[in-house]
Amino acid sequence: MTDPLHSLTLAHYLFTGAVLFVLGVIGFISRRNLIIMFLCTEMMFQGVAVTLVAFSRYHQNDTGQTFVIFLLTIAAAEAALALGLVVLLFRRRRTLDAQAWGEMKG
Amino acid sequence: MNLDLIKFIPWLPALAAVLCGLCCTKKALRCLAAPICILSIASGFVIAFLHRGGVPPGGAVVPFFEWINIGGFSANFSYFIDPLTLIMLFVVCGIGTLVAWYAAFYMKGDKGYARFFTFVSLFIFAMTNLVMADNLVLLYLGWEGVGLCSYLLIGYYYNKPSAVAAAKKAFIVNRIGDLGFALGIFLVYQTFGTVSLREAIIAAEHVSEPSTAVTLIPFLLMLGAFGKSAQLPLYVWLPDAMEGPTPVSALIHAATMVTAGVYMIARLLPIFVLSPYALPVVAVVGGLTAVFAATIALCQYDIKRIYAYSTISQLGYMFLGVGALSTVGGVFHLFTHAFFKALLFLTAGSVMHALAGQLDLRKMSGLRTKMPVTCWLMFVGCLALAGFPLTAGFFSKDMILAAVMEKGLGEHGQPLFLALGILGLFTAFLTAFYTFRLWFRVFMGPEQYEMGEEHHGAEEHGHDHGHGEDAKPQAASDIKVEHHHDAHEMPLLMNLPLIVLAAGAIAAGYWAEHSGWIESMVESSTAAVHGGESAHAAELFGYHLHTAMMVISSAISILGIALAAYFHWLNRPAADAAARQYKSIVTLLNNKYYVDEINDAAIVTPLRTKGEIFFAIDRLIIDALVTLVGLVPRALGIGARRLQTGALQGYGLGMACGAAVLLLLVLFVAN
Amino acid sequence: MNMAEKIAGVWPEIALLLGAALCLLVGLARSVAIRRFTGWIAAASLLVAGWIVAAQVCNAGGVIGLTPYIKLAVVAVGLILLMVAAAVPVQLKMTRDIEAGREPFEPGLVIRGEFFAFFLFSLTGVMLTADASDLVWLFLALELTSLPTYVMVATSRDRVEAQESGVKYFFLGAMAAAVFLYGFALIYGATGQTSFSLIVDAANQQIAAQGRISPLLTTGIVLSLLGVAFKIAAVPMHFYAADVYQGATTAVTAFLAFVPKTAGFVALIALLGLLPDGYVPPAITWLLWIMAALTMTVGNVLGLMQSNVKRVLAYSSIAHSGYMLVGLLALHGSGDALGNGTAAILFYLVAYGLATIGAFAVLGSLQARGEEAETFDDISGLVRTHPVLAGVMLLSVLSLLGLPPMIGFLGKIYLFGSAIQHGFVGLVVIAVLNSAVSAVYYLRIASACFFGDSEGHTVSTPGISRPLAAGIAAVAALILGFAGGRLVSTARDAGGFPTGRNDVVTTPSQPPAATTASR
Repeated sequence: MTDPLHSLTLAHYLFTGAVLFVLGVIGFISRRNLIIMFLCTEMMFQGVAVTLVAFSRYHQNDTGQTFVIFLLTIAAAEAALALGLVVLLFRRRRTLDAQAWGEMKG
Repeated sequence: MNLDLIKFIPWLPALAAVLCGLCCTKKALRCLAAPICILSIASGFVIAFLHRGGVPPGGAVVPFFEWINIGGFSANFSYFIDPLTLIMLFVVCGIGTLVAWYAAFYMKGDKGYARFFTFVSLFIFAMTNLVMADNLVLLYLGWEGVGLCSYLLIGYYYNKPSAVAAAKKAFIVNRIGDLGFALGIFLVYQTFGTVSLREAIIAAEHVSEPSTAVTLIPFLLMLGAFGKSAQLPLYVWLPDAMEGPTPVSALIHAATMVTAGVYMIARLLPIFVLSPYALPVVAVVGGLTAVFAATIALCQYDIKRIYAYSTISQLGYMFLGVGALSTVGGVFHLFTHAFFKALLFLTAGSVMHALAGQLDLRKMSGLRTKMPVTCWLMFVGCLALAGFPLTAGFFSKDMILAAVMEKGLGEHGQPLFLALGILGLFTAFLTAFYTFRLWFRVFMGPEQYEMGEEHHGAEEHGHDHGHGEDAKPQAASDIKVEHHHDAHEMPLLMNLPLIVLAAGAIAAGYWAEHSGWIESMVESSTAAVHGGESAHAAELFGYHLHTAMMVISSAISILGIALAAYFHWLNRPAADAAARQYKSIVTLLNNKYYVDEINDAAIVTPLRTKGEIFFAIDRLIIDALVTLVGLVPRALGIGARRLQTGALQGYGLGMACGAAVLLLLVLFVAN
Repeated sequence: MNMAEKIAGVWPEIALLLGAALCLLVGLARSVAIRRFTGWIAAASLLVAGWIVAAQVCNAGGVIGLTPYIKLAVVAVGLILLMVAAAVPVQLKMTRDIEAGREPFEPGLVIRGEFFAFFLFSLTGVMLTADASDLVWLFLALELTSLPTYVMVATSRDRVEAQESGVKYFFLGAMAAAVFLYGFALIYGATGQTSFSLIVDAANQQIAAQGRISPLLTTGIVLSLLGVAFKIAAVPMHFYAADVYQGATTAVTAFLAFVPKTAGFVALIALLGLLPDGYVPPAITWLLWIMAALTMTVGNVLGLMQSNVKRVLAYSSIAHSGYMLVGLLALHGSGDALGNGTAAILFYLVAYGLATIGAFAVLGSLQARGEEAETFDDISGLVRTHPVLAGVMLLSVLSLLGLPPMIGFLGKIYLFGSAIQHGFVGLVVIAVLNSAVSAVYYLRIASACFFGDSEGHTVSTPGISRPLAAGIAAVAALILGFAGGRLVSTARDAGGFPTGRNDVVTTPSQPPAATTASR
């Protein structure tokens, strides 16, 4: 019996990345807690990261992986920013429900 | 002659606008605004006058400075001077000077005195740019500029909601026309590769087989002309525009700005002849507008509104003339109309001034003794507007009607033009009637009038919120109201420009036609009509057509005046005299009244009803249509607004779905 | 291009970064007198950056390519924005309390250094976007532009609306970033490269092999364009704009209207530059066409419905993005004729920036009931209380409306003219119709200022810098409208090069031949 991982192709990785990305989108739209929503955007980023690494492997060059390193850096920066923002918001309204922040419209 | 000076004509008023703007800020400087403005416009006129004979044949381009230069696309501040430009400059600067002079007195004591002259100077800047532009983009600059100034000046009495609404309406309706104009300019550039008037005209003259795009250009440009010159169906803004101060109505909404459309078509005639249908459409719209507006004028009671509809109607004549390939007639009428319509508006302003803003015909009568000079000045204006023989309006209107009839009856007579000519004659009759209805009502008959509520058309000072600055003008105006308690004649200095205008309204037509000035001027400009004119003049009833038309239109105008005199003057004094002499016999008066009723039923009522029907069409249909066009974006907005829910997830959903739909759509389309 | 050259190119950015770091440090100083210097430091670093760019431009013999143009524009408009934003920290209650000695000094609560540092970071991001020659670089630069603005929006105002804007802007922004990042990943996947010039080479090979670029590359570019559309607030990524513009303090709103938009358009131009010369797949043409038409229509019709001037200007910002998208369609134009969409967009960015900043600065200069003016009531009758500001507002909205002779008019001619030259007549008709519709709401602003009844509750905010900035922007919009020739030719030089491949550009542009573009 062959190693099942040997038959994994580029398509599998891309599919995983896409699924992560779409799940992130769906989570973003359907969840109401700001922290969970932020994690969903992180999931979208990770979907992109998986895709990049897969392509990097496929093209046999390191550029994609370098890209992922930078991507993770930015994701970390965004996480820091998100935490700061969440604290600010929580102090203001004592809730992290996204619905609480919808006064301006039209 | 050196043409260098001429490029300063627009820039002197621009400088004046800046100076007047500075005058706005300091109260002590306010009184300086009028002299600065008048001086700048008058010097423009003097410069234009000095060049009256010095324009080289075919015109000359006077470069000023580089404005837009993008690769092959260049549009600079450079001016194209040919005889047509000069005529327009005489009108704009000449009438502008006189009106500004009048306004210097008329607007006195008004809080926005300096603001008014700032806008007027700015207007003259834009208008002179419009008529002097050597390229379509600069023309468009002037075109939009005059629209903006018109907007600011209509809304001058910003305390009146009706004035603000009118200002907005004017601007927005004009934008509809300008849209066509802008697209037309783009298309001109696309087709001829230039926006320079001279190059585009030369290119247009060499087009042998016009393509679809080329034949579309005149129609797009026409849309702009109809908007600016208040023709069907875009005329709705002009009657409302009378909310502005009367000098503005005289200058912008009668003499100059509204004629810009006629000027533009005359100027670009070679482009308009590219499509065989363009000029007939212009003529038809002009003819219909002329009769339509004249009928509405019959049933109005507001003096300025009557003149406004009359302006629309007269502009219709000009389009009719230009559309019948008689640019000479069109421009000639533009020239004479500027004199007498400015005169009429300014005298109406004097009446309004004297009666504290009263404009209702029914509330004034017999003012001739109180305001003799104004009375006879307006009489002159009315004669010219009615086309009374030998007045200015007579010659120019006649030239248009003769040209139209010529096309209708000439060698290849077109029934369309025959119909338009008859329509034009009918309009001439209506014009004479409503013009003198107004004059007889206001100045003849028993002397009685009610004062209006406004302080001679000035702002309602009561609305101000008592800023320290405002306290003084208010007190001043109160004194003035005390002083102007009764109807009164205007001071001589204020009447002086009117006398000049009246002289023009009488003599300009005879002089311009018989010295051949207007014809030689227009024929040596780009508005010249080349060839196509049949050598044999058509005949009517065995007479030379021109002579026949003169006789017919004289008769028609005298008939109209006579009819108006009968209904609005002669009946009234007769009745009065009878009442005085035979005080006991009241029955006669009743009887008189009875006769009047019959007359009314037979002649006046049908006319009046027609006017009312058209007025209803005006208010209910055309106005509503224009409003409706404005409602479409609003309806779209209500739909789009639903998506702006304010909820974070809602926006996320919108973005995700929008992006997904677009992605799938374009990828699907691509394959 | 080697490392040394690359670093030489980013000296202006380095100057700004150093300035930002200095701002952060000085912002922590105990003494108020020293902390007050942060604004001046920001101004100084902008001036230094401007001087460096100017020197580079002189060395190169002109504004060659989009990079120096954008940098110059960022410095010039950035200085005006800085004047508008200078008073933002003082407007915050916390800062005021501490600086007046009512509260003990707490470095984390004084928002002075941070604000100006973020301001400079964001500008650095735009400059770096213009420098980008690689997808990774582009991504980092775009994020550097955006991340500081999230903070600026959320913290620059005491009101809860600011936090609401902050949360909306940040979350939606993160989502959009993920979208364009996914696009970048696909572009990388389709070509195996992240460097722009190598991607173009790969695309050329694909064309040579199959006559078209691979669907994966097309999809990647489409996704990237959609994601970057967030920065310019184009449909369907426009939802946040009105709420964020309304909630942020006016100075920051002015910042948002220019800075991320500029970065967005530079990125869009760069992304379209990845396509081989003269080849645009129909999918991308369609995408831009639909986006442009929808964006300007949605912006304008929603602008009609608003009662808040900041929201009106937000929708106007969306609409203007729509107009500029029209220019993107004409991107592959010849260098010197009317028809070069890049040059038109570059010009329009400045035209739009000046006008919109002028309008926002007027709003920022006014206070009603202790808050910055933002409704129509607040500016009603402005001409009687603040005639100069009313005049500035009039000039600004006229320029936004595109009325000659304002600079906005030149911008529109350039943009729409380019699109017509490329045969997009239908889209230009929609655009012209739209700008007619926009007259209604711009006019509402003007007529509120000039014809409205003053309720007398609007007073000016202390300080001269905002009115001054408003005046400078409006006068510049007027003067450049008359004498825009220089700016037009600069934009033409800047846009006359294949974009996104700055490293291949070496020769200056030829002077424009005086040929007519007749056909």
